[in-house]
Amino acid sequence: MLTQVIWWSSIALESLLLFRGFRGKLVSRYPAFYFYISFVLVQDLVCFAINRLSHGADDYSYAYWTAEFLCVLVSCGIVLEIYRVGLAAYPGTARMARRLLALVFAIVLVKAIVNVAIDPHWWTQASATAVAGTLRAIQGVAVVALVALFLFYSIPFGKNLRGIVMGYGLLVCWSVVCLAFGAFGGQKLNHLFAFLYSAFYPIFLIVWLVPLWTYQTNPLPTPTVPLELKYQRVAATTQRRLQDARGYLAKAVGS
Amino acid sequence: MIGIPTALLLGSILLLLLLFVAMRGSGNARKLSSGSDLPLLDDQAALDPCPPEFVARIFSSEDWKFVAKAKSPQLENLFRRERKLVALLWVHQTSTAIRRIMREHTQATRQSHDLHFATETKLVLLYAELMLLCGMLFLAIQSAGPQRVRGLAVYADALSQRLAQAQLDFQTVTVGPKLHSAGSS
Repeated sequence: MLTQVIWWSSIALESLLLFRGFRGKLVSRYPAFYFYISFVLVQDLVCFAINRLSHGADDYSYAYWTAEFLCVLVSCGIVLEIYRVGLAAYPGTARMARRLLALVFAIVLVKAIVNVAIDPHWWTQASATAVAGTLRAIQGVAVVALVALFLFYSIPFGKNLRGIVMGYGLLVCWSVVCLAFGAFGGQKLNHLFAFLYSAFYPIFLIVWLVPLWTYQTNPLPTPTVPLELKYQRVAATTQRRLQDARGYLAKAVGS
Repeated sequence: MIGIPTALLLGSILLLLLLFVAMRGSGNARKLSSGSDLPLLDDQAALDPCPPEFVARIFSSEDWKFVAKAKSPQLENLFRRERKLVALLWVHQTSTAIRRIMREHTQATRQSHDLHFATETKLVLLYAELMLLCGMLFLAIQSAGPQRVRGLAVYADALSQRLAQAQLDFQTVTVGPKLHSAGSS
């Protein structure tokens, strides 16, 4: 009964999210995000139909994990969308983000190669839960890097983008924890975390739905002086003030 | 495949960052971004709210010796308490000033086209180290008193000099090519 409630509420919320997206013309502004929502909606409907029509639990399990794996891949587009939309007005920070994400993926790739070298049969023996968990963890690291950069450079989030980041971040966070526990626990624990993973999904949909109800533009910076000129003056001021700070420490230490 | 501790660590970091995002509303962010223009170019921005003559004596042993001569435990206790408060206030002000310098630096450079990744990374690491040091100074003063943390303060000074040098390198990297092109034309 509870599973049915989760299922139907997810389908209803996803449909409403898509409806509001088309109505508020948000779909054209956040195509990757709405493609992901459409994909999840189709996934839910297909899995629901298979669950009803098939008699064996294996059919459903196979369909669910295949769709889930594709879903994780599709959701990678949201990370790129956060980067694209959020940093559109900040070319310097965007360059930093590109380098940072490249660094993150290089580290992940090296770690994966090392893991495969240590245990060459991992890939063939790994369960669907473990693979999905690994992919979600990579997404988690990318989101951490991106959000940290946004916060460090005080990049303002618009209402819509903040909603996408919040919902997606929570989803990834919850997925990583549930899939890790599911992969390492026994059969019972796996079922429990699979259930918890689905049970919280409508909450993430609500986190998305509220800020994405209507379109709101991202706050844009308004430079009053030419950027390079401003930058040079700021750098000079920063240097002077850092030297003041250093002098401050030196005075205390030199006493 | 990631383990449970890694998953929990990643989840916690992500949750913490999302909490910061939630706390920093769009209105606040807009205020921050628009307000960045004014103080950056303000040379009069106060950096030393604590008088220099006070700062010079925080870690000095002269006053301690002077108070010790009175041979009054009450006076010594009172002095220790007061000096600790002054030292803690100084550390707090210094860390606030460093945070402010870095915040203004990031607010100014985020729109710049020629952001230098290596220099920025170096600055961030130095800044993090300096902030960590301020935190350690704070804890050390709290637990041991200002007199015993002189060694750490010496290291903090050396580190802040490196931060200033990194900032200088950053300026050379960004201003240098412009001067070079201006000279060649």
